[in-house]
Amino acid sequence: MAPSGTPPTGAPKEADASPLTLAFLEKRESLLLFLAARTRSMAAAEDLVQELYLKVAAVGPETDVRAPAPLLYRMAANLLIDQVRSAQRDGRRNAEWRKETQITLGGEDIVAEPPADEQLIAKDRARQLADAVEALPPQMGRAFRLHKLEGRSQQETADLMKISRKMVEQHIAAAIRHLTQRLRS
Amino acid sequence: MIDAAAWVARLDAPDFSEDDALAFDAWLAAAPINAAAYRRTLALWHEFAAAAGQVREELADRAEEANRVARPAFGQPRRRGVLFAGAAAAVAAALVVVVALPPTAPPEATHQTFATARGQHQHVTLADGSVIDLNAETRLTATMSGSQRRITLAEGEAVFDVTSDKTRPFTVATGQGEVRVVGTQFDVKSRDGELTVTVARGKVAVRSASADPSAEPVFLTPGMQLSLGGGRPEEAVAHVDPQATFAWREGRLVYRDQPLTTVVADLNRQFPEQIAIGDPNLDKIRITGVIVLDNPQAVTSRLALMLPIRAISSERGLLLLKK
Repeated sequence: MAPSGTPPTGAPKEADASPLTLAFLEKRESLLLFLAARTRSMAAAEDLVQELYLKVAAVGPETDVRAPAPLLYRMAANLLIDQVRSAQRDGRRNAEWRKETQITLGGEDIVAEPPADEQLIAKDRARQLADAVEALPPQMGRAFRLHKLEGRSQQETADLMKISRKMVEQHIAAAIRHLTQRLRS
Repeated sequence: MIDAAAWVARLDAPDFSEDDALAFDAWLAAAPINAAAYRRTLALWHEFAAAAGQVREELADRAEEANRVARPAFGQPRRRGVLFAGAAAAVAAALVVVVALPPTAPPEATHQTFATARGQHQHVTLADGSVIDLNAETRLTATMSGSQRRITLAEGEAVFDVTSDKTRPFTVATGQGEVRVVGTQFDVKSRDGELTVTVARGKVAVRSASADPSAEPVFLTPGMQLSLGGGRPEEAVAHVDPQATFAWREGRLVYRDQPLTTVVADLNRQFPEQIAIGDPNLDKIRITGVIVLDNPQAVTSRLALMLPIRAISSERGLLLLKK
């Protein structure tokens, strides 16, 4: 087992911690990495894992938890679902939407702002990333663009490409492999 | 085997289950390198999330740039706002670099020379990610700078798998001519004053060293093979199966109606032990087929099954005689 991350501030001492809390502390890093696949940054994943901790701590010590790991991951998955819902609420994550979506406020058109966590990266790096995306084989590249760059879900990407959802997942995995190899420096 | 990339894609999928989550937990716990690899993959994943808008704009700009220069011929002013769809855009992307070469001097060029001896192949990855496979008895120099990627192929044959970089054209220069590309895969063979260029993917422009510099280069698309020099008055273009030309990388030689002399010359590059044709009547025998390059004895005994020849060992190596 990989060493767990730093316990969140205010973590109870092991003596008075519930078994679920202890399991959480032990699996904190794994849970963080699990959540991070669905978040847009490690910082966002850290926020979620902190939120998870609060929920875990709220589970009373009297609750009988026979299998803490499945429960912890289930709770983490629920957090992700909540997060997806909130993302859909302010869902204008991609440049296409930024360009094309206009919101009317008080009779005046305003252009939606980019998500706050979409920071500017160096132009050179953006070019490198674009180069790497361009170098992907066509189908793989299309799946990656639709899903990761245009913010469509795997299912929406599958529908647009007229392929199965599972195939999209495989394209994305292969694309990540290509990109990691190419951009490693 | 599920790796870090597969896990990111799986956990990002809408139907991931509790079983997936527990399998992921077990995978992380199995070895510390798993978590490390996963973190590296996540870093890129998050970088793309943060840069999605910028990368999209960069890609959109490129597509527009490609469309913009699709129409004009060489030297004519570009027209803005002309949009072409699909295949035309892809072709134009290859054209852009050929047209719009930045003439600036390279700031700090690096030079690397690679050479293979008889019987050797070499697989080289350049700093830009382009890959070169050198066939036997090949010598080339790679010059990489901020403005260009230039290969000088002194002698021999190589397959180039070029990464796309519109700001830095990729050029292969030989004594007989120059090959210029964007992102593509092709084979260049320059032996005995003869140049052969075979394209598997993308588009390349070939300009003969003897041609008027203002003349248009010859453009090759996948499946086309250009031959230059070797006594030809001008370049000849044929349609071939590129994979046959590329087969040497996998230890195979593919021939379609080639004379035995050519085959023997190729084999002699692949093995230290030399093969000689001991009977001039054999020179003109023509061969169609695939030769697997394991060792000269096996190759010649297989040749003997295909052709009316026999091989005997001599001081000079293997001698091919009429059966």
